[in-house]
Amino acid sequence: MCALCGLIGTETEWSGSMASSLPVRQQRFLRIAQANRVLSFFHLRLEDFQGVSYVLSSPTGRREMVSDFGQLWPIAETLAGRPIDPLDSAFLDWLSSIPQ
Amino acid sequence: MNPTTSDLIPLIVITGFLGSGKTTLLRKLLTTDLGGETAVLINELGEIGIDHLLVGEIAPDTVLLQSGCVCCSIRGDLKDALVQLYSRRQKKEIPSFRRIILETTGLADPAPIFATVLADPMLRHHFGLGVIIAVVDSFNAALHEQLHPEWMAQVTSADRLILTKTDLVPKQNRDMLQKHLRKINPAAEIMANVEVKERDPLLLSAGLHESTPESEAERWIRDFAHPSRPEDEGADIHTGHAGSEHPGVTSFCLVFDNQIDWTAFGLWLSMLLNRHGRSILRVKGILNLSGSAYPIAIHGVQHLVHPPVHLSGWPDSDRRSRIVFIVRGIERDAIERSLNTFCRCLGSSPV
Repeated sequence: MCALCGLIGTETEWSGSMASSLPVRQQRFLRIAQANRVLSFFHLRLEDFQGVSYVLSSPTGRREMVSDFGQLWPIAETLAGRPIDPLDSAFLDWLSSIPQ
Repeated sequence: MNPTTSDLIPLIVITGFLGSGKTTLLRKLLTTDLGGETAVLINELGEIGIDHLLVGEIAPDTVLLQSGCVCCSIRGDLKDALVQLYSRRQKKEIPSFRRIILETTGLADPAPIFATVLADPMLRHHFGLGVIIAVVDSFNAALHEQLHPEWMAQVTSADRLILTKTDLVPKQNRDMLQKHLRKINPAAEIMANVEVKERDPLLLSAGLHESTPESEAERWIRDFAHPSRPEDEGADIHTGHAGSEHPGVTSFCLVFDNQIDWTAFGLWLSMLLNRHGRSILRVKGILNLSGSAYPIAIHGVQHLVHPPVHLSGWPDSDRRSRIVFIVRGIERDAIERSLNTFCRCLGSSPV
């Protein structure tokens, strides 16, 4: 458990299992912030849930629990109603155009 | 508390098409394993486990998986067999083996084995993935490639490629096959069966779970760092037969001069594998991460990624991130542009 954050353990999904000098909660917020920059193209929003899971919301009010980032993209595709493809040129053009 | 990688018992996988010589290789590797250092799991088709009997003479702790093909439907079998072996080892009913070798059926795709160990909380705390060894029948390789998609899955997922029946083909054909395999999977070590030694450390390797994972990571990028074949330097490597069952497989190495933000990279790769996992046959690489003095090694098979491993040093003087991809039907430029865009646009995201 992180004594400062009160979070038990770490994520087991591969991308969340890296040792980092950042506190666990700050790592989570960093990942959520970056994911939301991507998800905003699909009008979706990710939020932390109790430091152990995530909640993904659509503009129509649909909400789904996401246990880790391994689950995020299939659920996001379901809520968005379309494929989420990082190789899609239109998506990459949009990502390049958003302010840093 | 998570175990360190060297605490884990490595699971070494021997795969290869039917009749390619997997059991022969296993026997050769274990002939002098008299101390019970290796436990063996065999998964095979058919009601009578002939291979099990053959290996039984030299490795009495062999466990036979009964369900035929190692696919999603038998993950339970594999898990149960691993748990049973571990339990007996802890109770000292069997010698305290240092590794497990799993010989798959000739029709198995190794990726689900990867998934079984990574996905199960109990298994991933006790077992680590060792090297995947694919046995290639030199005489029938072309036929297997054309007719059986499993062959390509086995070759692309391998860390070591062992050529068997080399005495049955002329040297010229052998060289061509070796060159062809190197194009399909440039990150794998290729050797002939006759070169394999008893208890060969190269084959009985825990891969990234070795105490020095740097040497394993160095193998992945060696061919791209020091191309032995001038004609391949700087070029993507394509293979596959026009009009055959399988579209061409391409392998290439992306090199990044700037440090990579891990969070952005993780988002990108998980997104890519979710959408294109079936076409990304293999990803291996070392990354120079921002905020870290030492590199990390990543490797994945299809949509599965092994947790990254911290290396204690760089394998050579090059400090750039290098990622080897083996893909089917995806252009190198598309992947490179996508990763560059993610790193550039997300890498400095404020919290």
